[in-house]
This record gives sequence, structure tokens and C-alpha cells, in this order.
Amino acid sequence: MLLLKLAAKSLFNRKASALLTLFTIAISVMLLMSIERVRIDAKSSFSNTISGTDLIVGARTGDIQLLLSSVFRIGHANNGVSWQSYQYIAKQRGVSWSIPLSLGDSHKGLAVLGTNKDYFTHYRFGKKQPLSFANGHEFNHLFDVVLGADVAKSLGYQLGDKVVIAHGMGNTSFHNHDDNPFTVVGILQATGTPVDKTLHIPLAAIDEIHGGHNHQHEKANDHDHDHDHDQHDAVDLIGTPKQITAFLLGFDSPLYTLQVRRNINQYKEEALLAIMPGVTLRELWEMLSIVEKILLLFSIVVVIISLLGMLTSLLSSLNQRRRELAILRSVGARPWHIFTLISAESLLITGLGCLVGVALFYGLMLFGAGYLQSHAGISLNIALLSAYELMLLAAIMFAGFIVGLIPATRAYFYSLADGMSIKI
Amino acid sequence: MITLSNVLFKWHSQQTAPTINIAQLQIDQGEHVFLHGPSGCGKSTLLSLLAGVATPNKGTIELLGKAINQLSNSQRDRFRADHIGYIFQNFNLLSYLSPIENVTLGCQFSPSRKHHALQNNATISAEASRLLTALGLTGSLQHQAVGELSIGQQQRVAAARAFIGSPEIIIADEPTSALDTQNRQAFVKLLFAQATATNSTLVFVSHDETLRSLFKRSIDLVELQGGRHATT
Repeated sequence: MLLLKLAAKSLFNRKASALLTLFTIAISVMLLMSIERVRIDAKSSFSNTISGTDLIVGARTGDIQLLLSSVFRIGHANNGVSWQSYQYIAKQRGVSWSIPLSLGDSHKGLAVLGTNKDYFTHYRFGKKQPLSFANGHEFNHLFDVVLGADVAKSLGYQLGDKVVIAHGMGNTSFHNHDDNPFTVVGILQATGTPVDKTLHIPLAAIDEIHGGHNHQHEKANDHDHDHDHDQHDAVDLIGTPKQITAFLLGFDSPLYTLQVRRNINQYKEEALLAIMPGVTLRELWEMLSIVEKILLLFSIVVVIISLLGMLTSLLSSLNQRRRELAILRSVGARPWHIFTLISAESLLITGLGCLVGVALFYGLMLFGAGYLQSHAGISLNIALLSAYELMLLAAIMFAGFIVGLIPATRAYFYSLADGMSIKI
Repeated sequence: MITLSNVLFKWHSQQTAPTINIAQLQIDQGEHVFLHGPSGCGKSTLLSLLAGVATPNKGTIELLGKAINQLSNSQRDRFRADHIGYIFQNFNLLSYLSPIENVTLGCQFSPSRKHHALQNNATISAEASRLLTALGLTGSLQHQAVGELSIGQQQRVAAARAFIGSPEIIIADEPTSALDTQNRQAFVKLLFAQATATNSTLVFVSHDETLRSLFKRSIDLVELQGGRHATT
């Protein structure tokens, strides 16, 4: 206790260099904690992009390619799934719900998704959270569109606005069907997933923009303008498309998953592929794991550098402190007291550095959470320190203690050799 | 009290002439001794031997009837903490502690000195304050930053630290060299008064011959070693 008090007072006496050392450690701790927290939350955000879906089914291609095209809207699905196959599989025993997905069209570079109303009731993200509406409601008419949060925000759309949807991908399109305006009827809450960057329209409307059933389109448009919405729930929002891009399946019990998956993969009529989103998300993340490992490596190196900084400052101050150590020896401090004193100092610096680092870390998290959520779709968890993070802190403390043993040992031998006669 | 017999000490084993070679030296309890000699005659080395920081190659050093050269390192450290108060030449104090804290430090590594200090006062801080007052450092000076004290005042704090808990032996290693003549004599008189009050033996080392007359007994280290000047 006496030694700890002496160590603290001695450190306070050298507060300029001690504070610098402490601050270096604090920043490195903050960096390590932040990188680890973002890494873990990015991973969970990533694997939470879709949840509650047991299988994603599409034309036969790579697992990851199917996941990327159906969930992340990245890349193209070369083939589709025929409507017949979809309807057949959707009626299998155990299937609780199915959501057809038709992709391939865009609006100002943002993906347009043709789907059914089940999408709004059964699609889950994160910790099985359902989609919810910030404004408005789901589509009830052929030319209704529901916008993801980012779409509405970045393009400045509001309920009732007219939106033109083009055929094909990309910003410019050869078929700009200005005569096919959709009406914004709903805007979803932000989810931090690709849903935010998607325009949702009824499946049947996909056929419409592709120049399908013109007659029905006229009719639906008339209804939209002339009548009250509520009376027209009977409008066919699904239609009879020839094919869709992919579909999502949910089962009554997860026990059906493996069996249905095998049946789909062996389906004779059409070459199909069924993937379990959780498994494929993990595979995809592992492909990205080299980046996270490099990040972790860098932050560990930063911690090591900061501890070496502490070592340098402790060692360089030691020579100036030989008289201080001799005075302590003269009042009866034994060499191991001196050893403990210097060790206590390094522990104090590392400990305070960790404390300040954690405070900075929380500051950064509070400050950066909103930005990360809206720009990278990573939802940060501003919770108490996890066991893993406490373990990281303990590892840093331990490393600080080990590093502190070097000047402590040196001081021990100084105090043995110098005794009380200092010739400096 | 302090008895040295046939003490031989070399810093390095290859040294031809020993740094210390004392056939016999006896200092009684309560005696105030002036130990003097030119630079390099082994004054600091003798103090290291007395304080038990160094051990003689030959011979015995008995303090308070105990042969300290036969003690283990940690036993000697403990012996020093319990029985010896040490005053340095200068830069005596820990600058990050207040004068009071510097003084109490003198008994914090020794339960027996702490016990002694607590017989005089309720707390060791109060005892430190009493000693500082006795040595002429009063009031707010006792709580001032050490760096703001004059050299003379710092030496008084160092003396108080040596005296707290009434150790049997006080070793002063040229404590007056940074003071002017008047202050030197005043300081030495304060040391005498305090040493007499606690019946401590005072070994005062200096090359300043003007202080010699203040002591009843003085020892010339060169004469003690047979008139021979140690060389390395």
C-alpha cells in the first residue's frame, strides 16, 4: 500500500512524461477495443443481414453467388427459377411460408425487388426482427412501391411521390418507361441491411415493366387513381410470371430444412440450388477474414508499440532516479521493495491507460455509432464490456506488467550495487 | 556499541591495497563522533560498511552487539531499517513527498521504529511534526513542497527523518557541506541536541576540520588505518 502510494506520487511528480505514456497506451487500447468491437459487430451485422429464413433457393450456381445476388443484390443470377418449380416447392410439406424474389431491374442504380406481401410479414433480419414501416403501409396495388430507408433518404422521396422504374440495371437504361409511374405507399424503417437500398414492388408489376400485360396495367392504374385503396385488395399482385430470380423458404420446423434442401438439390425438372443462409454467410465471412486478421494484427502492434514506449520512458527515467532509490534504501527499503515500486508504476500506468482507453472507446462508439449504422450498415452494440474485451484488457495489463519487470529488475540491481552511496 | 576489529575491505578482488583496513575501532552508546579525512581515504566506504550495504572481506563489525557481517542481505536491510538513521550529503529528500511525508518515510519500513514513534505521539505524522518543530522547521513549512525549502531547511527534514522512531545509531554523511559556516554549526548543534534526547550514537563524517572542535571525540580515518592512504 505504501509502495503503491509512493509509486503514484512519484509518477505524479513526473506527470508530463507519465501522462504522455499513459495517453499513448490509452489510445492504443481505444484503437484495439474499437477495432475489435467493430469487427465483431460487423460480423454479426453481416450474419444478421438475413435471419429466420431456412433456405434460399435459386438456379444452380455457386452458394456464395446465390447469396450475393439474392440477399446482397450483388452480381446477376444467370438463370431464374421457373414459376412452376416455385409453386411446386412452395406447396411441399413443412413449408410454412415462401417469398418469391424477382430482381434485375433498377431505379437510379438502386435494386428493384418484385415480391409478394409475405415479404413484409415473414422476412427477418438481425435478431429475427421483422420489417417495420416508418411511414405508410405495404403495397396494395399493382403500381405501389415500398421504399427502403436509404432509398427514401438519399433520393428524397416521400409518400405519394411518383417513381419511374426502368428495365435493367444501372443508372441509365434504354427502356425508361416514363409512362409507368409507381406511387410510393410505404417507407421502411432502417435495418442496416441491403433492404434499405431496395425498392419493393408487387411481383406482377415486374412483368408490367417488361411490357407484359398492358391491359391489366391500364386497369390497375385507373383503379389507383379513381378509387379508394381499401376496396381493391383483390388486385392480383403476384400474377403469373414465367420465372423468378430466387425464393426464400421458411419451415414449420427447422427439422425439415436438410431434407427439403436435399430434395431441391436433386430436383429433376430443373437445376436448382438451395442454401442455408447462415452457413453461406459464415463461409462468405471467412473469405473476408484475412482483412479482419490484418486489422487485429495492426491494433496488437499498436499496443505493443505503446508498451515499448512505456518501457523506454521508465528505463530512461531510472537513471535519474537512482538517488531516489538510494534514499528509499537508506530508510530501510529492501531491494524487492524497489522492485515492487517500479513494477507498481508500470502497472499503474497500464491500468490507468486501460481505464482512459476504455473511456475514449465508449466516447468513440457513442460518437461513431450513428455514422457506421447509416454508412456501413454496421449496428454497433454500445453495451458493457464483453468477457472477450475484458480478457483483452487483462492481456494488455499482463503485457504491461511483463514489460515493467525489465526496469524493475534493473532498479533491483541498481539498488543492490549502488547501496546508498550515489556517485552521480 | 559499534565495534570494528581487523576489518579489511576491497571493492574489487584484484585491488592490491585494501580500501579499508581497520585493526580496532570502538564507539560507545550515545557518543558523538567526528570522523574526518581527506577525499578518497575511504570515508564513504566505511559508512557503507557501518550501514551494512557493503560487507567486509575480513574481520567483524558489531553493531549493538550483533555481528552484522554475518547477517544475510535481507537481515542486514531490516537491521538498518530498525536501528540506523542515515543523513545524506545533499539531495536528501523525495521531491514528490511533503516534508512530513519525507520524515514519516523514515519509520515506515520498520515496525519497531514505527512503534517507537507511536510511543511519543498518537500518529507518526504528529511525531514527524514534533521532530521538525524541534529541528526548527515550523508551521506551514512542514507542508510546503520540498523544492521550495532552502538547502538548510531540507537538511533539517533529512535529520528529522533519521531521528524518527529513535534509532540507536545516526550516520551523517557530510550533511553540512552545502551549508554556510554559521548554518553548519547551528545544524550540528541541533543534531547534538536531538541525539542526546534519544541517546543515539552519532557518527558524523566530514572533511570540514572547522567542525571538529564541536565534538568531544574525533577520529582521523588516515591515522586509524595506520597513517596509510589507500590507493586503488
